[in-house]
Amino acid sequence: MNMDDALATFFAESRELLEQMETSLLGIGQENDTTETVGAIFRAAHTIKGSAGLFGLDDVVSFTHVVESVLDVVRDGRLAIDEPMVTLLLACGDHIGALLDALETNPGQRDESLIERGAPLTAQLRAYLGTGLVAADEPQAPFERMGGINPCEKDLWHISVRFGADVLRNGMDPLSFIRYLGTLGTVTGIVTLTDALPAAEAMDPESNYLGFQIAFRSQAEKAAIEGVFDFVLDDCTLNILPPNSRTGDYIELIRSMPEESARLGEMLVRCGSLTAKELAAALLVQEQRHPEIIPIGSILVEQGSVAAPVVAAALEKQKRVKENKAQESQSIRIDAEKLDQLINMIGELIIASAGANVIARKSRNIELQECHSTLSGLVERVRDSALQLRMVKIGATFNRFQRVVHDVSREIGKDIVLVVNGEDTELDKTVVEKIGDPLTHLVRNAMDHGIDSAELRAKRGKPAQGTVSLNAYHDSGSIVIEVSDDGGGLDREKILAKALERGLIEPGRVLTEAETCALIFEPGFSTAEQVTNLSGRGVGMDVVKRNIVALRGTVDIASQPGVGTTVTVRLPLTLAIINGFQVGVGKSVFVVPLDMVDECVEFTSDSGHDYTDLRGQVLPFIRLRELFEVPGAAGTRQNIVVVKHAGQKFGLVVDTLMGEAQTVIKPLSRMFSQVKGISGSSILGSGDVALILDVPALMEEAQFPVTHTPQLA
Amino acid sequence: MNAVAPTPPHLPTVVASTMPAMRAEPTQYLTFQLAGESFAIGILSIKEIIEYHALTEVPMMPSCVRGVINLRGAVVPVLDLPARFGRPSSEVTKRTCIVIVEIEAAGERQVIGVIVDAVNEVLDIDATDIEPPPNFGANIRADFIQGMGKVKGKFVILLNVHQVLSINDLQAAGAAVSKDVLSLN
Repeated sequence: MNMDDALATFFAESRELLEQMETSLLGIGQENDTTETVGAIFRAAHTIKGSAGLFGLDDVVSFTHVVESVLDVVRDGRLAIDEPMVTLLLACGDHIGALLDALETNPGQRDESLIERGAPLTAQLRAYLGTGLVAADEPQAPFERMGGINPCEKDLWHISVRFGADVLRNGMDPLSFIRYLGTLGTVTGIVTLTDALPAAEAMDPESNYLGFQIAFRSQAEKAAIEGVFDFVLDDCTLNILPPNSRTGDYIELIRSMPEESARLGEMLVRCGSLTAKELAAALLVQEQRHPEIIPIGSILVEQGSVAAPVVAAALEKQKRVKENKAQESQSIRIDAEKLDQLINMIGELIIASAGANVIARKSRNIELQECHSTLSGLVERVRDSALQLRMVKIGATFNRFQRVVHDVSREIGKDIVLVVNGEDTELDKTVVEKIGDPLTHLVRNAMDHGIDSAELRAKRGKPAQGTVSLNAYHDSGSIVIEVSDDGGGLDREKILAKALERGLIEPGRVLTEAETCALIFEPGFSTAEQVTNLSGRGVGMDVVKRNIVALRGTVDIASQPGVGTTVTVRLPLTLAIINGFQVGVGKSVFVVPLDMVDECVEFTSDSGHDYTDLRGQVLPFIRLRELFEVPGAAGTRQNIVVVKHAGQKFGLVVDTLMGEAQTVIKPLSRMFSQVKGISGSSILGSGDVALILDVPALMEEAQFPVTHTPQLA
Repeated sequence: MNAVAPTPPHLPTVVASTMPAMRAEPTQYLTFQLAGESFAIGILSIKEIIEYHALTEVPMMPSCVRGVINLRGAVVPVLDLPARFGRPSSEVTKRTCIVIVEIEAAGERQVIGVIVDAVNEVLDIDATDIEPPPNFGANIRADFIQGMGKVKGKFVILLNVHQVLSINDLQAAGAAVSKDVLSLN
């Protein structure tokens, strides 16, 4: 039986639950009515404990159990949740995460030192529980009977469970459930129902045909016993009869499984839940009343049995649980690799479609062309949907920073709050993963260097609580993330002084505001007098810049002394397939990403300088023929493609405009990585290769020509 | 072409002055013509040979990088070997082909094409028939030559593809060119 998949899912889901716990704990400070949140935190801990129990991860279970007990006390209203408890619970969440990590990398091994680290946390948790409150049953110790009471049927439950055919395929092992039951009590008798097993040839080893009748002695509540089977509630038919059930209940049980009524009675007897006499008596009663089958309900009501409402209540609960599960499971986990494959194939589809398009146009067959345009439209929609699949909201990443801000503000003793905007902005999954570290660094910098101390803030008339804000939005084909703070801003003098000291600039050189700010991205640069373990070593900002440039993005800083600083990160939204605008220069075809194209105008009178008049505005342009050294003379009728990036417009002078086309981006070999202005290549419908222009790089090169000497390998 | 061993040939990137007798020697070489001279490359690096067809030029690259082609959906750079060796390029004739070579460098597999004037045959050259390269006189950078093979009384220059097609080299050369070009703007 392959438990690995189920285990992997367990780890992933538990991590999600831990994240939810953390978010809820951090938010609890601001809330007036905390009952809902506390309930959510409790449920998260409870689910982790339960799932861990199914896999036999005892260490996790025992630790989480104490956490759960404390949360239970809070939930009941006997304890209020306060700052120190939040910090303690956050630390416990971390510890559970660490335990899970250790188990994932070294399954089956106990990390003693790690477990010891949990001991002080457990001690603190128990302090909350105090002496008067009894912690619920420790699942590790076998359940002890209270002496003196005759253990007869007082707490003897009868559980009838028939696991669905797919339970093995879903990664659940029926045995593990029974094992877990054993932690809540003792299984005194068990009978396996094998009547559904087909002949050996017809049997599918991956399907489950078994059911179990279990006699179970326990003092746990019915909800707890039902909770054991939480994971398979959809898949199995489960009946739990509480102790002291009347025989009528057993009748109902029997009736509810008509196909095996006779044998069921025998099994009940064998389990010890019923005695043979009771069973016979019950059946006799029924037979005597009416020859046909009487609705069980009436018998039970007559007998004054409580079973009906009890069972009805249980059924209701099951239904509600199923509804909840249905709502939660609106999302599916998919392997990222499968998505990549899908997108690759769609890329090929687009190329093939473009090829067919070219031929359709050449053939001059109207029907074929119409048909083909329908096809192209559909392919475009499929492409858009597929790309959307990889898009993830940045909100999850932003909310991780709540924890960072919470911890760091405590560490450095400043009161800082994090404000988040634009959480619904979506990015490609890989970009979201890679942007996490640089953003963390920027946030920490903002807190450590940016936000001024409380006295300074009071002097400057700012509110005592500092604000770091994160904002994300889309802008013409890029996604923009801003990290701003309302602290002291960048100290120009200090930066210039430090740069002079390090020899980064020559003395006497005058730098603009932007250039001064850009200095802090130099490797090893820092104006901090002391190095804290947070920052100041001068390692961070250039790593941040490098990581962002590796994602083909840009990073800028704007700052006002005394008011605050804003770091703006721009990342391209583009993935493998973009809408492109093809232009021709000489014999070469280049592609401009369509979302950067603003308009096209004719290129009139070449006056010699590199700017022109665009409806009254000055439009600088780059002559691509010159830039790329395309052989041949320029044509008589040239065109300017006006492109827009980061709020600035400029033009590209080209020969011919060839129109829009979907473009599959094929990466260029690494040997072309130094070519500024080309970001990739694409295959046209004709089979030729077109180069994709890197508009931001072109703009940067035109404005700030690189002056430092090239390094030859 | 691609028949034989699954492991890539362990070719030394710096040509040793003594005979490298220890490595798993590929004894089959593809010989071809470049500007009248015969060269050869071990066949284990060769993926395929295709006809010469229109290249797409890539601006701001050194002249030895002629451009890129579309190889069944992948964009493959194509090198001009004479230019790489510092000689004038040859004209394109009907016998001109592109030899697609696959090398592994720094953990990455790179597929690169080279233009050749004409492709000759696949020869078996025994290890004993390979002489160490001359220190000078071949008009090519010494580290490009893996050895000199003796075939029918004549010498064939065995190329060290890892050096000839070294990405780092080409990348740096590209950097130099592009900096020059852009600083003029």
